[in-house]
Amino acid sequence: MATLGYLEVLDPKGRVSQRFPVQSLPLTLGRAYTNHVILDDPFVCPEHLTIGYDENGRLRARDVGTINGLRAIAGGQSVPSLLLASGTEFQIGHTHLRYCETAHAVAPAELDRAGMMRCFTSPTVGLASGLVLLGILLVNSFFGSYERLNIVRSLSEVLMTLTPVLVWAGLWALVSRIVLNRFHYGQHFVLSCAAVIVSLMVSTAAEWIEFIFPTSQALWATAIVGSGLILGALIYGHLGLASLMWLRSRLWAAVAVSVAVIGLGVMADYDNRSSFSTVMEYSAILKPIEPALLPATTMDHFIESTHHLKEELDALARKARSSQP
Amino acid sequence: MLKDSTLIFWFVLSILCLFSLSSQKSASGQATLASTPEIFRQYSEHVVRIEVVEIGSAAKASIGTGFYATQRGDIVTNYHVISKLIHAPERYRVEVTNAKGQTGVVSVAGLDVVYDLAVLRGGPPAKGFLKLETTQPQQGARLYSLGHPRDLGLTIVEGTYNGLLQHTLYPKVHFTGSLNPGMSGGPTLLQDGKVVGVNVATEGEQISFLVPVERAIALLEKTAQSEIQPAASFLTEVGRQIDAYQAAYLSGMFANSKPTVVLGPYQLPTRPAPFFRCWADALHRKELPYVAITHDCSTDDYMFVSSQQSSGIIRFSHHLFSTNELDPLRFFALYSAQFQAASVAATGNEEEVTPFRCETRNVRVQSGKLRAVLCVRQYVKLPGLYDAVFRAATIGSRNVGLVSTLSLSGVSFENVQTLTRRYMENIRWRR
Repeated sequence: MATLGYLEVLDPKGRVSQRFPVQSLPLTLGRAYTNHVILDDPFVCPEHLTIGYDENGRLRARDVGTINGLRAIAGGQSVPSLLLASGTEFQIGHTHLRYCETAHAVAPAELDRAGMMRCFTSPTVGLASGLVLLGILLVNSFFGSYERLNIVRSLSEVLMTLTPVLVWAGLWALVSRIVLNRFHYGQHFVLSCAAVIVSLMVSTAAEWIEFIFPTSQALWATAIVGSGLILGALIYGHLGLASLMWLRSRLWAAVAVSVAVIGLGVMADYDNRSSFSTVMEYSAILKPIEPALLPATTMDHFIESTHHLKEELDALARKARSSQP
Repeated sequence: MLKDSTLIFWFVLSILCLFSLSSQKSASGQATLASTPEIFRQYSEHVVRIEVVEIGSAAKASIGTGFYATQRGDIVTNYHVISKLIHAPERYRVEVTNAKGQTGVVSVAGLDVVYDLAVLRGGPPAKGFLKLETTQPQQGARLYSLGHPRDLGLTIVEGTYNGLLQHTLYPKVHFTGSLNPGMSGGPTLLQDGKVVGVNVATEGEQISFLVPVERAIALLEKTAQSEIQPAASFLTEVGRQIDAYQAAYLSGMFANSKPTVVLGPYQLPTRPAPFFRCWADALHRKELPYVAITHDCSTDDYMFVSSQQSSGIIRFSHHLFSTNELDPLRFFALYSAQFQAASVAATGNEEEVTPFRCETRNVRVQSGKLRAVLCVRQYVKLPGLYDAVFRAATIGSRNVGLVSTLSLSGVSFENVQTLTRRYMENIRWRR
């Protein structure tokens, strides 16, 4: 006999926990053993529901007069009967059901990200990215210091950066283990290394831009916007490895993290600018460059450009005076 | 034997000589000591104790000394003794206690911020006053300073007159004697009771300074006819006086390119006026892969504006860094760190100054390029006056760099710009 469709019992997350083929109609549902579909739900009556064609030839579920009734999922109210189309969901007692015809369309297969990331799983890739990061950090530490070379100090400086990366990857691996039963430590580590390398590259580029164009605010932008974006991208990657979240929701999570980080940065910066301090804040980055290559303004122009300081300070002083008794 | 006895003779003789010398010395010492109690007895009744009282708690916030200087009982003291009253008249009052223990609240009749003087009026009745006369004592003349050091009661301190300071913009008397906090505003007298100066500052052991008496005479003349004004109105006067002071002493500063000092490949300004003092030093340590040479110049004159703020100081410094060991990237890590703001310290609080605002540019000067930063802040209570720090780092060399800093305090914005410009023009590369 041909199967007309399937009656599916859904768990609270909407996943199918049981599936019954519908081969003949009418079909009865209830707790009693006389039913076609037996449901072990104390809130379901021994004879609870029948499914069959109505006088117009449409498929309909009917409550046979029970104390807990039949509840349509769309709308949520108790109904004596409910028209069933493919995909209609309903509830009897505490049991959540769905009817699907055999022609019911199903979602396309999801990409196996774990498979895609397989290239990162090899210990060689993890080790290589760790070594690349170590190398970059050592070079950075060497060129960032101006004292005689001290291996112990350089290494301890590098380890200070590397340790949080290892711990961060470990935490994400733990999340992966809890959610997916797989650690994916190597992949998480590769991702974290990539994020640190990108941040170092971006901040070096920002230093050069800020040096060449002092009014560009490149360092400010990198510190706030850049770090927000890199962290967002990192979270996006980690979630891909550590959860079954859809692409769209991962994207939203990443955007939320970026926005939160940028927002906090802007707020902290505003707070810093509006609170009193005797510190002079300016960009002190100097780079070795051929003077001919460095765009420079004239003395007159520089002096002129300081006029706005007076206006800004006059406003600040007025504000300070008005807030004093 | 004969030789020995001759030696003994000479020895005894020399001991006798020494003894007679020392007894002479102690005799003259006794003569001085004898006159000091007399001076104290004669003149201490003209000296008063000044107390700044916080109105809310009715407790003293600071103390100082003053003295009656006119027939009608005008009291001369230091501006810094009573500055709290000028800055926050709603929170403080000034009380004066005379030698008899009579107390009264006084008002301000006039002040001279540059010389740190104030004239008070309306205290307890004066029995007499100290004579202020322009005198030119000889270097080494005995002086007697009166005051209330650390509120321990009226004290007399002996010392000597050592002339006027040579390197200051405006004269100060160099008094070799121990002035201590609390004696500020008290008189320093000659043996005949004539006031030579007003106690104002100390720079450690036995080195003390007095405001020349001429300034007190001038202020008393200026305020003789003036009516008592509310203390708050003097704040504008403080601003006006500082503004006039800076306009006068900054005009022409750094205007010509001499004198100069040579540091590495650079020719730089030094000692633009006689009242600057300059020092130089070099950091040349084996463990450091670079050499740092420093040339600092500063004025000694400063004005007390309030307990948190002084003004009128100009400082500038040149720091030359060079290396034969560091590659350009590492040298520039050093250079950047030295150019950081942390190396310029500033004090101040929210009630008195705004935060700094800075402008940074790469600037083309006569013979090269500079990374130039100008940071400025404004005095909240004295509008129109600013503190400024100009910093410049030379660009171009891969193993030599110069960080030059000019700090100005209590100047107009126009002068900030003018001096910054002149200073920049004076940073030159040697060809």
